[in-house]
Amino acid sequence: MKLRSLRHSLVARLIGISLLLLLAVQLAGFVVVRASIERNARAQITRELDTDVRVWRRLLEQKAERLRQGSALLAADYGFRSAVTSDDMATIESALANHGARIGAAVTALLDTQLALRVVSGEAGMAQLPAALVQVVPALAAEPAGSQIAVINGLPHQFVMVPLRAPLVIGWVLMGFPVGQPLADEMRQLLSADVAVRVGDGKGGFSVPVSTLAPQALAQLRTGGAQVNELKLEGGDTLLVRASPLSQVGVPSEALLLRSVDAVVAPYRQLQWLLAVITVAGVLLFALGSSAMARRVTTPLRSLLAATRRLSRGDYSVPMEHTARSDEVGDLARSFDHMRIDIGRQQAEIRNLAYRDRLTGLPNRERFRAAVLDALRADPLPGHSLAVLMLDLDRFKHVNDVLGYAFGDRLLQAVAGRLQPMAGTPGDMVARHGGNEFALLLHVADAQAALRVAERIARAFETSIQFDDQTVDLSASMGIALWPEHAQDADMLLNRAEIAMYGAKKRLSVALLYDPALDSSSAQTLSLLGDLRRAVEHGELRLYLQPKVALQAGVGAAAEALLRWQHPQRGLVPPMEFIPFAEQTGFVRQLTLWVFEQVAVLLAQSGARDIALRVSVNLSTRDLLDPDLSLRLGAILERYAVRAESICLEITESAIMDDPQRAEAMLNRLAQQGFKLSIDDFGTGYSSLAYLKRLPVNELKIDKSFVLGMQSGGGDVQIVRSTIDLAHNLGLTVVAEGVEDAILLNRLRAMACDEAQGYHISRPMPAEEFLGWHAGPGTAFGAAP
Amino acid sequence: MTTDRPFPLLCCAWVFAVAAFSASAWSATVQVDVRDGAGQPVSGAVVFLESAQAQRAVRPLQGVEMAQEKKQFVPAVLAVTTGTEVHFPNHDAVRHHVYSFSPAKKFEIKLYKGTPSNPVLFDRPGVVLLGCNIHDQMVGWILVLDTPYFAYSSATGQPPGGALLAQVPAGSYQLRTWHPGLPVGAPALTQPLAVDADAGETRAAVRLTGLTP
Repeated sequence: MKLRSLRHSLVARLIGISLLLLLAVQLAGFVVVRASIERNARAQITRELDTDVRVWRRLLEQKAERLRQGSALLAADYGFRSAVTSDDMATIESALANHGARIGAAVTALLDTQLALRVVSGEAGMAQLPAALVQVVPALAAEPAGSQIAVINGLPHQFVMVPLRAPLVIGWVLMGFPVGQPLADEMRQLLSADVAVRVGDGKGGFSVPVSTLAPQALAQLRTGGAQVNELKLEGGDTLLVRASPLSQVGVPSEALLLRSVDAVVAPYRQLQWLLAVITVAGVLLFALGSSAMARRVTTPLRSLLAATRRLSRGDYSVPMEHTARSDEVGDLARSFDHMRIDIGRQQAEIRNLAYRDRLTGLPNRERFRAAVLDALRADPLPGHSLAVLMLDLDRFKHVNDVLGYAFGDRLLQAVAGRLQPMAGTPGDMVARHGGNEFALLLHVADAQAALRVAERIARAFETSIQFDDQTVDLSASMGIALWPEHAQDADMLLNRAEIAMYGAKKRLSVALLYDPALDSSSAQTLSLLGDLRRAVEHGELRLYLQPKVALQAGVGAAAEALLRWQHPQRGLVPPMEFIPFAEQTGFVRQLTLWVFEQVAVLLAQSGARDIALRVSVNLSTRDLLDPDLSLRLGAILERYAVRAESICLEITESAIMDDPQRAEAMLNRLAQQGFKLSIDDFGTGYSSLAYLKRLPVNELKIDKSFVLGMQSGGGDVQIVRSTIDLAHNLGLTVVAEGVEDAILLNRLRAMACDEAQGYHISRPMPAEEFLGWHAGPGTAFGAAP
Repeated sequence: MTTDRPFPLLCCAWVFAVAAFSASAWSATVQVDVRDGAGQPVSGAVVFLESAQAQRAVRPLQGVEMAQEKKQFVPAVLAVTTGTEVHFPNHDAVRHHVYSFSPAKKFEIKLYKGTPSNPVLFDRPGVVLLGCNIHDQMVGWILVLDTPYFAYSSATGQPPGGALLAQVPAGSYQLRTWHPGLPVGAPALTQPLAVDADAGETRAAVRLTGLTP
């Protein structure tokens, strides 16, 4: 992995490429220099060999000159001449020997004027001498100033000859000198060139009697060919060879001058080594330098990389490194650092938005849930419990509707202000749970302590709130659930506190501790969307109808369609236990359509047609806001060939008021389709009459709280009466709900209410029983005359 | 002045010869024409006639000199009769060391100036080659003859290359001719010659071959 990262790293690539280039250049230079050295060396040696040959020849001439001088000296000696003329052979020979020895001549001889040998003085074994002299003497006599070389006993000898005058030429003195080892050594000393003398044997072969070469080179020369320009030694050295012929007559012989290429190249070799060392040092320095440079670039890159990884993990706290640098890397680092700070700030803002309620400044639902989770995770003190207190303001919607949203907001802020002191223990939290719902996380010893907090809150709410001229009484319902008594986890704890809160609201008590009894049919067990879906798919839903009777003279039968859930285990589930949930999740649309379709099926039956049955179907807010609602309903009507006029759509005031404009548009469309429209629960909302007048509504349905209130006398009677009058004046019919006894029925009839509905007439019944009821018990409620 | 010296000497010889001629009624003159191989006249050759009678007539010459002038022997070739004593006056400022290794007369006069007191006696006929041990280039010849009848071929004579021998008694001779150009040690050319007194003048032609210039 190290190696792999190395191979991919910028540093390695930079250095690698640079080094390769450098090496290639150096190598090319090395090769060129090497070739040029070799070539130059050879050229130099060739020139030196030229000089060597000239010097060698000059050396031979000098030798000859010395011989000639020696000979001339002898020839001029009066005694010698006297001896010669006296034919005293012994004296002559001794004189010859004497003079020969003086100059180191190997051979000294006296010849007569006819060039015939008279006396010879020389080393022993000169048997070949006369034969050799025959070859050289004529040439010497022809050119007395010259010299001749002939081979005697396998060794070349240089001969000179001078005339013996007394005073005319009376003979010749000849001297010979071996071209031997001393001469070769002298040559070697003079020019440090090697010399070898080769003598042919007349049969193509040759011998090397004289040489300054090392034994190995000599052996190689001996085994080499006759023509030799170069001698490659086994040691790797090469000797360049130049031949200079010696003997002009007789047995051929030549001097070879040899020079070593290595000797010339050696200084350059040293230079090359130096160059190689410099190259290696240069490469090392370059590698170090460029890696340092590259590291200067890549180290910050790596730290920036690490920094971006930290950023992506959400850690914005560590400042960027290398921001102090003034180069491009520094620019990059500073830019990164700005980005880090900006993102960090935005992140904090987002988190704040996500976890804080902007209106009250309190933590929101998510934050509260997280706090509960944290509190559960941290072990509480022994003997202490965690309590969640859910608080729901009563009639807040009412306040909102009447006094406006701005007032509502201020109210919520005031409530938050009053709740805040209740969180006394560290770790306690007050949060806005949504809408008009608040939640408190309390660390308490037991349930009683939690209830005492609830009491304190209730007392704090006793003081009414005053804004401008408006005074509002506060009241709230509170539910408390404890951990670990009531719940094992945070969600359950919250849920149960909410259940307790709803229980309190239902029982109109201020605060209620969670009790499993509250939960027997609680939303929790039902709030499973899956259950509801299954209910639709498996036909667990039932259509119920609650009859409406006409109080004035009129025809036809009417009923409100209601939904019941025949749960396989739990039996019949009342709508209050699943409709709110369905409304919350939007599943209510499917339910509405289901009801509508069942109603259509019912109305398509001949029995229903016969009695001109009208059925009311409830629409929820979500139904009303579905832009395709009218199309869907129209499609169902078409499928079952049911007229829209036989269906009344009931809408609550609040459903309309959620989005009045869209609601109005939809209602207009539905009215155009022919549906009858009814305002449900009229009187609980805050819709203005002016607004109502604009809506294509046919009917008002007075809320049952007013109808029931009529029993106790008081204002409700007036409300009902005036509502009926009002509706009639606007051209609307009026339906009263909650008619529970005959007295109410009669009073409503007396008030000219158009229709009535309630337990007194009939409880909701399965749809299939309706026709039977209508024909039987229902007839008792026929329109009074 | 010194160059003139040989001339009176020759004159003397000439006078003597004429006198002899005139003294004898049966003497004759011999004209020898010396030419080389190419037919060119040769000067400087010594022509002499030998016979037993001539040998008996030999008398030593007097006052003969082989001088040394300007590091040369003067004359270069000197013919004398057997028994003649020759003086070697040195007219040069330097010393000479005159020697001869010739068998006819071996001698040396070591480094001297002026005229050595003792003349050298040439008592055997033959060619004596003279040299100077100091000056190698000096070469001189003394021809010791067993006859009084000899002459030099002259370059200026009539005809050129001619040698005239006067007052030669009639008789039969060996005409011999020698020249320094002949190889060293080579004998003089010999040819028979009959001298007839009545003829007055006898003519002979000598052809010298193998001369070195």
